[in-house]
Amino acid sequence: MKMSRAGLLVAVAFGIPVAIELRVLFSFFGVELPLVSVVVFEALFLLLVAVLYSLNAEPKSASKH
Amino acid sequence: MATFVDRYPEEASVVKATLVVSFLSLGIGALFGLVQALHRTGYLRFLDSVDYYTILTGHGVLLALVFTIFFLMGLFTWAVVQSLERPLPDIRLSWAWVGLTTTGATFAAVAILAGLIPSIDMSADVLYTFYAPLMAHPLFYVGLAMFIVGTWLAGADWFLAYREWRAENPDERIPLQTFMVLTTMLMWYLATLGVAVSTVFFLIPWSFGWVETVNPLLTRTLFWFFGHPVVYFWLMPAYLMWYTVLPKLAGGRLFSDPLARVVFVLFLLLSTPVGIHHQYLDPGIAEGFKFIAMTNTMFLLLPSLLTAFTVVASMEHGARQRGGEGYVSWLGSLPWRDPAFTGMALAGVMFAAGGFSGMINAGMNINYLIHNTLWVPGHFHLTVGTAVALTMMAGSYWLVPQLTGKRLYSRPIGLLQVVVWFVGMVLMSNAMHRGGLAGIPRRTAEPQYQNFDFSMALGTVGEIRAGIAIGGTLLFVSVVLFLVNILLSAFEEPIENPVDDSLPEPLSGASGSPVVLDNLRLWTAIAVVLVILAYTLPLAGIVGDAGLLGDVPGVPVWVSANAEATLDLLTEVIA
Ligand code: HEM
Ligand SMILES: [Cu+2]
Repeated sequence: MKMSRAGLLVAVAFGIPVAIELRVLFSFFGVELPLVSVVVFEALFLLLVAVLYSLNAEPKSASKH
Repeated sequence: MATFVDRYPEEASVVKATLVVSFLSLGIGALFGLVQALHRTGYLRFLDSVDYYTILTGHGVLLALVFTIFFLMGLFTWAVVQSLERPLPDIRLSWAWVGLTTTGATFAAVAILAGLIPSIDMSADVLYTFYAPLMAHPLFYVGLAMFIVGTWLAGADWFLAYREWRAENPDERIPLQTFMVLTTMLMWYLATLGVAVSTVFFLIPWSFGWVETVNPLLTRTLFWFFGHPVVYFWLMPAYLMWYTVLPKLAGGRLFSDPLARVVFVLFLLLSTPVGIHHQYLDPGIAEGFKFIAMTNTMFLLLPSLLTAFTVVASMEHGARQRGGEGYVSWLGSLPWRDPAFTGMALAGVMFAAGGFSGMINAGMNINYLIHNTLWVPGHFHLTVGTAVALTMMAGSYWLVPQLTGKRLYSRPIGLLQVVVWFVGMVLMSNAMHRGGLAGIPRRTAEPQYQNFDFSMALGTVGEIRAGIAIGGTLLFVSVVLFLVNILLSAFEEPIENPVDDSLPEPLSGASGSPVVLDNLRLWTAIAVVLVILAYTLPLAGIVGDAGLLGDVPGVPVWVSANAEATLDLLTEVIA
């Protein structure tokens, strides 16, 4: 799967609700994650997306139009 | 014959006029939203907390009523003209309703904003629900009445266009977009009866002082008679775009025309007899009627679930046409670079989330948990504030070039704008929902009570405040980006084909849908019967209890010079 720059932007945006709701999800099981865990999760997620993007990016010319 | 403006220049001017009013309101309303978000969280306060209600009324009226409905009027005009492929019957009628609605909206806005200027003895801080006995300056109600009559004329304009078309095409199916416009307007005529009666017969005479008293429960019930269906009046333009434009932007075709018609008919039938679900906590309405309203409301989930299915199916079809494969990875083949597509898709995702919190609101028993808390604005900023507002902004990136013949100034800025909206709304609405669960009230400038701490199930109140303030700021930035982009587009050179405006045929077309779906008289009759069943007894009970005109004197919000008298009145009302 090729990832366009626009696709990257949307993927990053989607990571934010996931990161926020992660605490809610864990709290269902009685685990209270601190707020920093959201930040850490988000950072790891961004790293992952960045790596995926650099591996799969479309050639530069394709993102011009 | 290039695009809409070349084929129908006069109609394009009408649409542009409504969009100008719409976007102007969006800008002012968003500024007020920012002020509220920063004020009630304590980050930035430059207004007196008393003026908060002026701002909040302006925000609610300008965004929920003016921005959305003016956009609707423009979109519906475009949809009728381009789907019937003929100009409007009489352009003077069109300008008449543009003039009337604009004047009405201006009156209401002036009455509200005058509240910020102490030297003018006029104010309308009654919030967009204008519950009696809070009394606004008469100009507010008069403006409101003109606005509503204007929308009726607009509907008449579209029905006349349809009649002319029908005379020449006696045996054809109603084109899908026109069908959507007509069913929506039939619902609107039925629904606005409530607010029209309330405004013309009770609130206007009372605010002028011709009658002394009002029956607050009656006017409130009449408000919600209109107040629930109005949410579908906001939503149907978004649905129209999701059904007829989004599949095309995705690179495919609408999955099913008959299903789309079924959905619009269901909304016509079920939108109005449910308004009492906003009054679960009102004394004076028997529990049984509230239960009926709840049941009808749950049925309303059906057309929304049908829509989710059809729209996602159409998008998947589009993605596969573009070479998408797999169970999930087809998502990557969607045209994310196109702000019109991305904005509408993100709006749809947020609508799903709003639907879930809406089910909580709709349940008679769990409603008590969140009633009048911040949860409620959290919910409707996902629905009208995003599903509708973001779809309208995103749709503009595709629609406005057809009206001006000029290309959009910048697609990357457009893309950034819709993504910033998404992120801002995630932060703001998540915080509002969570704050509401902790019991933080809505509609107050001072939610931080003394000697009282809200107990959060998770996280802290400070975090909630930050979420609202940061989210609100991002949303405001997003609106600025949108308006600047549209404004700069006006200075582009006109070109032949500013945007690909063709709309492909549905996969399963109109010929497959039962003819009875187009029988608008039948559906209207059933809708009327359902409304009579749902409302006759509750209204009779309310009038029987306190009389048509009630016995409550009213609390004018504009007699600032005479605050003492107002206080006296207030104690009298409470007693
Ligand atoms: C710049 C974006 C926006 C921001 C920052 C914002 C912020 C807010 C806040 C903080 C409140 C709650 C005030 C309170 O209860 O004390 C509110 C209420 C409200 N907002 Fe927004 N909002 C935005 C956009 C919108 C949009 C696009 C719509 C609808 C199309 C909308 C409709 C409403 C309505 C109807 C209310 C309730 C007013 C009332 O309680 O009377 N808002 N907004
Ligand atoms: Cu409702």
